[in-house]
Amino acid sequence: LLVYIVRRLFATVPVLFGVTLVIFILTFVAPGDPVLALFGQPRADPETVASIRREYNLDKPYPVQYFLYVGKLLRGDLGRSYRQRLKVSEIILDRLPKTARLTVAAMVIAISVGVIAGIISAVKQYSFIDGIVMVGSLLGVSTPVFWSGMMLILVFSSVLHDQIPLIKYIPRLPISGYGGGDLRYLILPAAALGLLSMGYIARMTRSSMLEIIRQDYVRTARAKGLAERVVIYRHTLKNALIPVATVLGLTFADLLTGAPLTESVFAWPGMGRAIVAAVQVRDLPVVMGISLFFALIYIFVNLIVDISYAYLDPRIRYD
Amino acid sequence: LVYTFNIRRGVRFHNGRELKADDFRYSFERVLNPKTKSERVWVFEKIKGAKEFNKGEAMAVSGIEVLDDYTLRLTLEKGFPPFLSVMTYNSANVVPREEVERWGEDFTSHPVGTGPFKFVEWVHDDHVTVEKFDDYWKGRPYLDRIIFRVIPEEATRFEEYKAGNLEHVDIPSGQFMQVKADMVLSKELREWAILGTYYIGFNMTKEPFGGRDWNSENKRKLRQAMNYAIDRDAIINVILEGRGIKAAGVLPPLMPGYNPKLQGYSYDPERARTLLREAGYADGRGLPPITLYHNTSETHRKVMELIQAQLAQIGVRVEVRSMDWAAYLKALDVGEFQMFRLGWIADYPDPENFLTVLLHGRNSGAGGNAAFYNNPVVNQALDRADNTVVWREREAFYRHAEELISRDAPWIPIYHYFSTVLVKPYVKGVKLSAMDTSTNWLVQPLEEIWLDR
Repeated sequence: LLVYIVRRLFATVPVLFGVTLVIFILTFVAPGDPVLALFGQPRADPETVASIRREYNLDKPYPVQYFLYVGKLLRGDLGRSYRQRLKVSEIILDRLPKTARLTVAAMVIAISVGVIAGIISAVKQYSFIDGIVMVGSLLGVSTPVFWSGMMLILVFSSVLHDQIPLIKYIPRLPISGYGGGDLRYLILPAAALGLLSMGYIARMTRSSMLEIIRQDYVRTARAKGLAERVVIYRHTLKNALIPVATVLGLTFADLLTGAPLTESVFAWPGMGRAIVAAVQVRDLPVVMGISLFFALIYIFVNLIVDISYAYLDPRIRYD
Repeated sequence: LVYTFNIRRGVRFHNGRELKADDFRYSFERVLNPKTKSERVWVFEKIKGAKEFNKGEAMAVSGIEVLDDYTLRLTLEKGFPPFLSVMTYNSANVVPREEVERWGEDFTSHPVGTGPFKFVEWVHDDHVTVEKFDDYWKGRPYLDRIIFRVIPEEATRFEEYKAGNLEHVDIPSGQFMQVKADMVLSKELREWAILGTYYIGFNMTKEPFGGRDWNSENKRKLRQAMNYAIDRDAIINVILEGRGIKAAGVLPPLMPGYNPKLQGYSYDPERARTLLREAGYADGRGLPPITLYHNTSETHRKVMELIQAQLAQIGVRVEVRSMDWAAYLKALDVGEFQMFRLGWIADYPDPENFLTVLLHGRNSGAGGNAAFYNNPVVNQALDRADNTVVWREREAFYRHAEELISRDAPWIPIYHYFSTVLVKPYVKGVKLSAMDTSTNWLVQPLEEIWLDR
């Protein structure tokens, strides 16, 4: 297994280079001039603009700029933000824990609610509860974050909250912001972000469970008189989770990319916000740095997913 | 022209050191220093020797002299009345050398000044906190602490305000009428005119509005026809929900030098059609394809579409296209568009900041004159205005220039900006001026704000 992991890690190197090249082309070659976007048009004096351009190597041909960037990257230097003058590595280190909190919390909500709802609706197939779960999950999958986010705010923390029966007894939640790490600030954004994948996970768990439940060995397990609970949890669920695990990996990546919207609606100071702002002013080092980082996470998560198969299904071997 | 400033004694930086005349010299030279690569060199460019210093040809700026600890003398190349206004621009703020040198590039994250509130922390994309500065020269401010929250989504900001978590907020687009009708919110509403103009520019170097013969009778008539075709009231009422003042010329009403008698172009489709015919394009026939550009924004798109519809009424067909801001600026600088929208909000309250910056031939392109309008007679009038000290004479030159500009019609002035905010009733001492915008209280004295609760 260790050999496999090492081999996979080596394989990421060319992938990362491919990523740097694609992002470079997309950002550097896209129309729009970072120096003009950042430094006060009009009235930026042409000589100053030229000297800023020299400082950032923007006056050189694109291939040269690319190699200069990669050269620095190899030395572990992601450069400095044009706009904030902060090191890109500092920006990532500052934002990463915040986005990670949000994403992990959203994952926890999505998985716990999604898997449980999926199991229930599989076990009670075609029941009333099944119907509710399936309709609910469809809504969850198809609702954009900025809408569901606003709705959550209205229901749980706005002035309207005090007029809704039952819910008005739950204390009002904070509307937006990071709150310096206060957990109450995490609930709504995590729920809004988690909602997207929740329905997906529920549907996946349900169909996978239904497939396994019809297998011969489940019938055998039931025939030898095992309690229904043991049949479901030990024999069915574990096998049913293999396809779900794949989905989880992809879901995590979805959540990361879905984060910019959620972070905007809830004013969460994470990486998504940083990259959106950076794209708008063509703050290229920040765009490059964060995109690379996202790519790295994506690769890493897929590796974990692959490895987790071995745990879920002992038949899968890596050699 | 020479200005001698007596520096107030006992003004302290937030680090405790007293502000001296030499701090002004240091701060101004820091901006002008070629190593700083500041994009705000223009703020000081009228000072004698500033250009030489900025090019690295001189060791110091000859026009900045520190006579003693409390006396600063600035000598200008030649008379430039807007200078004092320009000195209020925030790039002319004074910074303490020791802090700048201590933090280097990170000084932006550790600002130190002499104001009523000192910097505490900046959590990026979350909030900035400042707290009272006990040694502020006017005495300590009323508020202990101000937190500026960063909330990108306007609907979220609005909910935070309504829930009582913010003292002041801007009004989300499309909600202004609702706010006005609301019993509570309407009492917390403040509206005021600011120094800004929203306009459509014609490219004076490109067909069909400009070119070598931009000054010909036909081209002028075409531009005038387009001006008469626009129903500014409709734009203001329908899209801006009444938040704007119809524009006749370039200068906004509260700007010194504003000419209330300037006629401009009122909505007159008949006259527009006549002029269009006289220009040789009866009912729009014979016009090449025209594209009207705007930078991506929901409001701009709506305004452009209404303008498109109004122009279609006189037979002029334009296509509307958008670009994001970074790409847009670059295209404007090189004069890529035939027709475009732009807005301008004053950097400082002087007509020079509008007329000269936006319409003097010398500022064509990146300088601010995106229309590439270059009329030697106007340029001359503006040059004289910019260098005349007596206000009455200056004003006369500016008015003359604005009238010529209006006749040439390089723009379709649309409206002058209005700002609107909601402020909680217990917040006292709010004095919003034409230099404050809804989200940027630039001139509002923060030390005068207090809470009555």
